[in-house]
Amino acid sequence: MNRLDYIVLLATIIAIPLYGLWRTYDHPSLRQYLKGDKTIRWGTIGLSVLATQAGPITFLSMPGQAYESGIGFIQNYFGQPFALIVVCAIFVPIYQRLKVFTAYEYLGQRFDKKTRLLGAFLFLIQRGIAAGITIYAPAIILSALLGWDLNLTIWLAGGFVIAYTVVGGTKIVSLTQRYQIMVIFIGMALAFGIAVHRLPDDLSFTGALSIAGKMGKLQAVDFSLDPSRRYTVWSGILGGFFLSLSYFGADQSQVQRYLAGGSLRASRIGLLFNAIVKVPMQFLILLLGAMVFLFYQFEKPPMFFNQPTYQRAIERGYGPQLTALQAQFDDVFARKRDAMHAIVSEQDAPALTAQIRELDAQARTLRDDTKKILEQAGASPKSKDSDYVFITFVLHHLPHGVVGLLVAVIFCATMSATSAVLNALGSTTAIDLYRPLIRPTASDHHYVVATRWLTAAWGLVAIAVASFASLVENLIEAGNILGSVFYGSILGLFLVAFFLPRVRGSAVFFAAVIAQTLVLVLFFTSSIGYLWFNVIGCSAVLLFAWILQQTVFRNNQPATIP
Amino acid sequence: MSEHDHPPFFSSWRKAYWFALVLFGIEVALLYAFTLRFS
Repeated sequence: MNRLDYIVLLATIIAIPLYGLWRTYDHPSLRQYLKGDKTIRWGTIGLSVLATQAGPITFLSMPGQAYESGIGFIQNYFGQPFALIVVCAIFVPIYQRLKVFTAYEYLGQRFDKKTRLLGAFLFLIQRGIAAGITIYAPAIILSALLGWDLNLTIWLAGGFVIAYTVVGGTKIVSLTQRYQIMVIFIGMALAFGIAVHRLPDDLSFTGALSIAGKMGKLQAVDFSLDPSRRYTVWSGILGGFFLSLSYFGADQSQVQRYLAGGSLRASRIGLLFNAIVKVPMQFLILLLGAMVFLFYQFEKPPMFFNQPTYQRAIERGYGPQLTALQAQFDDVFARKRDAMHAIVSEQDAPALTAQIRELDAQARTLRDDTKKILEQAGASPKSKDSDYVFITFVLHHLPHGVVGLLVAVIFCATMSATSAVLNALGSTTAIDLYRPLIRPTASDHHYVVATRWLTAAWGLVAIAVASFASLVENLIEAGNILGSVFYGSILGLFLVAFFLPRVRGSAVFFAAVIAQTLVLVLFFTSSIGYLWFNVIGCSAVLLFAWILQQTVFRNNQPATIP
Repeated sequence: MSEHDHPPFFSSWRKAYWFALVLFGIEVALLYAFTLRFS
């Protein structure tokens, strides 16, 4: 990165929060601080929901995912439109009608105080840790590749976010997210255009897609019923539906986004906008990864993208083994590149296609062998090597200025996702814990001040988690596991509230405690894939709540359902 | 809630949900066509 890149980077990440502060600086009421005001329309809500979900991992990992395994990952989003329609039809009208500030406030009205506290508590644990990982994940990758100090990078991303989220609340979060996602769109579109432009001159865009397809990178949809297939339409619809329903219906960081402004119509249109644009957006990000893959068929890629880890292994005495592998890799690449140039001129050549696939498999084996040596050297990386693919392409092959913009994209994604989470953590702690347990009667102004302090405190917790996240082996995986372990029980609480009207507070509370304990026991003692915990936790709450209501709590008074 | 949020609009919301689902169906169909063309 040169001076121009740093100017673009700093101007982008500072200008948006400053503009947000200028537009929103006020002395807000509690309602304004937690839900914004009527000026927040569906467009802002839609972009804000999109920005909250699309954290830095989306833009760092997704292109690398397509580089490694193709674009089939898109199917994981197929359940989301169905989940968003359920949220629009069932969750949003209830939240808006009851004028709640947080999703867990509804649990208090439907059941009792202890169930509300349980929902809020599960959310706070999970999101408090996840916020730290959201800051840490891009920081470790950027600091490794750019030679920046890790703690400085963490504070650069986290410090700004804490400052403007504390001052402006929900309104500034929604406003800044609108501009941050626009920067992200512009940056990713530029990267896509340049990746295609940097392909050989005699290769058309359709020709490029055709070759990427022959190399197995463009199978977007797979209707196979084979359970061993990792991504299929069916697993995407079923798994994606549950995950999205938990995330959009019961996670305050999203609930607060679409309740902003207070209009049912704006909330619904904002969510339906996401139901329509999410799949095309993810498709384009994955297709960018496929283009980067194709680019690296003509331009030699590093054998291992995480170069700092690679260098560390060399310093620890593993240089000779790595040099030998590198020589083989260079040879395989040269032969593959010649075959690629040949296939550009005669695209219908099955023999060439087979040869390229064979050479690609050899290159992949060499990369796997490299990884084993790095592990032997004790230089095991904190995230998958594919997470470094896109940022390596950006830093080495994009023009100056655009590099700064793309690094700003990563920061914008970090800031937009983190601000939404901090806003939700501060609000939930103030509304669901502080107000009912510590100061039940105080002025509006008192709660605004309390929410600001609590938001700042959660920001510091997130930075502390980020500072200690290096203890976690695979941090991106850790974030997904954390979500799956806690989301199921939280979603179960809400589904009981909506669909089991005879179940009352004590039954659902103990059901959720049992279900969460069961999930934790399974997590520590079994080898079940972590995505299943969501379904297990949710189903267990529904089942136990019904059983407990029919047996132990049979004589409880009927609840008044809001 | 604003005047736009009252129950008479609920039937049109149903149409909006179907519209979103139809668009999503078209997206999946296009992705399938893309898969068939380029794989």
